[in-house]
Amino acid sequence: MGINLVQSYINSHTQQKKQPAQTPQTVQKPAPHFDIQSQLDNRVFIKPLKAKGRLLNGNIFNAPAIMLKDTLYDIKALKHALKGDANDHELGKLNDVGLKIGGLGIAGYLFTKRPTSMTKGMEFVGLGSFLASMAIWPKLAIQLPAYLIHGVNVQKEYEDSFGRKKPFYQDPQFIPWDLYTEEEIYKIGDRLGVDKNIQNRRELIQEKMKKIAVQNNTLWMLTAGFATPVMSALICNKTEPWLTKYFNERQNKKADYILNNIDKYSKKYQNNSIKNNIDKIIALQKDKPVTPELVETITDTLSEGIDLVTKESLRADVRNLFENKTFNITQNTAQTIADNFKELFSNRGFSEEFISTVVPEQSDITRFFNSKNLLNQNIEKADFAGIVKDLTLSIMKKVQRFNETAPENLREDASYVRDLILNNSKKNHPILSALNNSQSRTFDTTLQAKLRNIANILDGFKARNYVLDEYAIIKTGSAPETVTANYWNAAKKEMLKLFGFTSKDIEKARIDRSVLDTMLRDKIEKIVSNKSSYEKVLDALTKLISELHNDIKPSDMAAIYGGNENSAYEKMVDTVFDNYSTSLSDAGFTNVSKALTGAHPGDNVGTYKNIQKAFVSEKLLGIESSLHRMVNNLIYYRQIAADANSIPALRAHSREAKEELIELCKIITLQGHSSDYATKFYQKRNPHPAEDYGKVEVADGKVKNKYFGKSAEMADIPVDKNFYNDAMRLMYETDIDKDTMQILEKNLMKDKIIRYRTLMLEKIGGEYYFPKPRHLIRSRNNTPSDIKFLLTGMATNDYFFNAIQESFNSNKWLKTFAGFGAGLLGVTVLAQFFFGKMKNPEKAGK
Amino acid sequence: MILPVKNDNIINFRAEVPDKKELKYNHDTLLNNNLLTRTLIGMDKFTNAITVYPAKGLKGSKNANFYEFLTMGTVPYLVGSAMLMTVFNGTSKFYAPFQKLMARKNGNKLAMGVLFYGLMKNISKSFINTPIKALTGIDTERPYAKVIYELPDHKDDTDITSIEYHKVFESVEFPRWDLLYGDEAKGEKRNYRYDKIAKKLGMGENLNDSDQEVKPRIKEIVVKSNLAKNISSYLWAASGVALAVQKPWENFFEVMTFKFWKGKEFTKTITSFGKNFVKSAKALYNGEGKGLQKHAGKILLGAAAFSTIFGVINSVSSSHKPSEKTASDVIDKNNRYEVN
Repeated sequence: MGINLVQSYINSHTQQKKQPAQTPQTVQKPAPHFDIQSQLDNRVFIKPLKAKGRLLNGNIFNAPAIMLKDTLYDIKALKHALKGDANDHELGKLNDVGLKIGGLGIAGYLFTKRPTSMTKGMEFVGLGSFLASMAIWPKLAIQLPAYLIHGVNVQKEYEDSFGRKKPFYQDPQFIPWDLYTEEEIYKIGDRLGVDKNIQNRRELIQEKMKKIAVQNNTLWMLTAGFATPVMSALICNKTEPWLTKYFNERQNKKADYILNNIDKYSKKYQNNSIKNNIDKIIALQKDKPVTPELVETITDTLSEGIDLVTKESLRADVRNLFENKTFNITQNTAQTIADNFKELFSNRGFSEEFISTVVPEQSDITRFFNSKNLLNQNIEKADFAGIVKDLTLSIMKKVQRFNETAPENLREDASYVRDLILNNSKKNHPILSALNNSQSRTFDTTLQAKLRNIANILDGFKARNYVLDEYAIIKTGSAPETVTANYWNAAKKEMLKLFGFTSKDIEKARIDRSVLDTMLRDKIEKIVSNKSSYEKVLDALTKLISELHNDIKPSDMAAIYGGNENSAYEKMVDTVFDNYSTSLSDAGFTNVSKALTGAHPGDNVGTYKNIQKAFVSEKLLGIESSLHRMVNNLIYYRQIAADANSIPALRAHSREAKEELIELCKIITLQGHSSDYATKFYQKRNPHPAEDYGKVEVADGKVKNKYFGKSAEMADIPVDKNFYNDAMRLMYETDIDKDTMQILEKNLMKDKIIRYRTLMLEKIGGEYYFPKPRHLIRSRNNTPSDIKFLLTGMATNDYFFNAIQESFNSNKWLKTFAGFGAGLLGVTVLAQFFFGKMKNPEKAGK
Repeated sequence: MILPVKNDNIINFRAEVPDKKELKYNHDTLLNNNLLTRTLIGMDKFTNAITVYPAKGLKGSKNANFYEFLTMGTVPYLVGSAMLMTVFNGTSKFYAPFQKLMARKNGNKLAMGVLFYGLMKNISKSFINTPIKALTGIDTERPYAKVIYELPDHKDDTDITSIEYHKVFESVEFPRWDLLYGDEAKGEKRNYRYDKIAKKLGMGENLNDSDQEVKPRIKEIVVKSNLAKNISSYLWAASGVALAVQKPWENFFEVMTFKFWKGKEFTKTITSFGKNFVKSAKALYNGEGKGLQKHAGKILLGAAAFSTIFGVINSVSSSHKPSEKTASDVIDKNNRYEVN
């Protein structure tokens, strides 16, 4: 059995008190005439200062004031700490300051690493949400439930006499209970159900409050680690779409602004770097002879920001500018030729005797030029051949003389020596390269002025071109968070809802594309089996597609063949390119001028201007085709479901062929790629179909096949051009019913869908494929393959496969962590119902 | 009436059951600040933080105290770190192969960021402590074991003592000066620790009351070094995160394995870690692109280094210049003074 320590303490204490008998002490008697009042009046005792502590009641209204006060306190604390005068409380606060500074450091660094506005913004959202979660979790999961269940605010704060804000229950061994009035404590006691008639009621209430606080603080410590990251991630997850929307609108507005204010906005890019660099070159090279290196340097400088193809035109113009037909032969030319020869003959196994006899020195070459009256004379390029010939001949004579006198083992093959000199490119030719470099033209003031003018023009063009690029990229660039990318991502989520994909469907189809193909087809067939559900989905789908044009107005930007071919963007491209093309042409840079806008007005193919336009229009064509294809799919499936037998393209075929055609087109519309169209639909069919010209049977949007797929003999039939033609007619030429038209018209999609179907027939249906030469539904055309690819767009099944994978990933994450967070919150709240249980003391009620 | 508890070594609160629980210390004891002690203290605190203290706290024990609450503060740190890693990577195994690859690439970097945050935050404190100790002789992190007497939970409760691990200077208002005095019974000079500090601080040798002379300076240094640690450790932690998000780590993640029993692969992991650590550090310092993007790494590292260097310099320099007045200037022996 253990020992009751308290009792033993009391016993020993009592014994101690008895000890004076054994060790006598001088007991001081109280002073006579002791008057407490007079003592107090005369301030003999040091009285404790009156406590100034108070409980704090924070709410949403005084939160900004508290925040300001806390910030001022932190600044004061920092000042004190720097001087070494801070107290413990101040140092504790500075730890929080450090945490926030570190957090800002992380967010700030990652901000610079992220490529887009949204991802940059999310770094600070991440920091904010983490700090907020640290603060919100104890309030939401600890303080609030505890208050509702027990009526005790376990996160109560107080301000001590020195103005320091502290948690009331921070240290359970030192709780400043005196800050609570009797009335407040008893009110809490009533809520806690503490007997009103109990002795020491206040102490018991306090014990209970303390117990609840200790339990809750422990629960906080145990749950915060799980809760804070999850809560923070969930906040980020839910904030992201809002932030995306915000930045999308902001970007879109910015893009519209910059196109309308191109001159003003282009100043941002007008850094005159080309002109500045040209000035630097002029400072170094002025009045010096023009060399090929200088021409190359100037070409590189002028072509800053220009593509490599246009750069070639620029190079030609620069060469023309510097071209001078006269060359001046000097001592330097002779020296260069001598050096070139020396290099040419070295390390090739020639004997020293041979080199010293045959290879000309500078003096030899100077003599040669003198003998021909060429030294310090202007010559033309046509004279080069003669110089090369004569100089080579003089060397060959030396070789011959050497071979005549030298011992046999030192003789050299004359033809080899001649080839060594002559068989060189212009650049490496020992004589020609030196002659070419002896151009007599100097980098004079006329050339300098011309170059400065060109540099000014190109600086202006570059700045405006950057603005056009920026506009095009914001709207349609192949990058995250462009206007089209944001639309595309948002539309994908909507599409899944629209076609009725449940989370179970998504989970099933996410890995296996064939599962998705069947599922997608079943869903569409189910939708079209019923007129009202078809019209509802068609209406929603066309509405969703037309939303793209809210962000990208057809009057601003348009796809090729898609509508307004003279949009604001295209007009601006025309203006900028045409103006600068004229300026460059006037300045003598005709090659670049042609590269920008073509040789003649309206000459667009292959020009820089056309590329600038195509960047936008082709991108839009791809997006619109993919979406228009979905509308057409729905229309086709509905036509089969509603009245397949009345479709003209099917009428002439046997039932088996009808079934084959319908099946082929159902697959092609959902899964067909541009290669399937190009190869004119490879399909294994029955070469000997049954002689049954009856009607096909359709129920619930599906064809009940009587013959299809049941024949043992199956083969593609490349000679059946009618089959191909009817497949195309079935998909793109069958008349659209009135109700469908009305829906399309309502959502401003009628013209677009009609145009899409026409283009598919014209551009794709006129595509020539040599193994199936007559498979053409329209006349053969030369549409480039990129346009045909873009017209086909993204296969619908690819679109949905991509959409469900993304949806699965985000749903899986959300489900996992939101579920975990909800479970944690539940357990945390539930646990609090078991807190604060205490046995009433024995004296209670007596 | 509640009697004051008095323990003057005469009354033994512990029951006579030594075989039941033998405490390592029977009075507050100064400990050496070395790796072994720090590790043992860390293990003790961690074990208690996940076992004894939560159990006491959840029961609402009357003995629960602030130390236990603070010690439990490591739980959310560790759990939170693991949870952050899980949030980044937990569901990627369910994704399609390519998406899994991409998700893991980022997830791994962020997980490493969490790890480096914790490591740098803890390691960086020594960037302040070590030079301060070398320059002043003051070990601002000197630990001591504190013996706690608790209230019995019930009348037969005899297990009422426990050990807490504190630091001598964890409170700048109430440092445990008493523990720094030498034990004269062991032949130590009473002020020998204070003497050493006074000498290091250039306050002279063989001072009559070195303790009284150096205490204000020690307090000042402790406050300043705490400030430096509070700010610089978070900046180093941020640098750790920045280091973890560098591109070279992607090469490391490709060969990374925790299967230490697979010697060859594990060795490759270690080697790759070392190589990519160096590459990532260079990438962080050199940066990519231009302007702020290029120099952000340098700025962050610079801020961390500056806060450390400035913190140390500020800590070792006294802000309180000695008064030019001597005692004789203040007290005139010929005058009469009244003290209240």
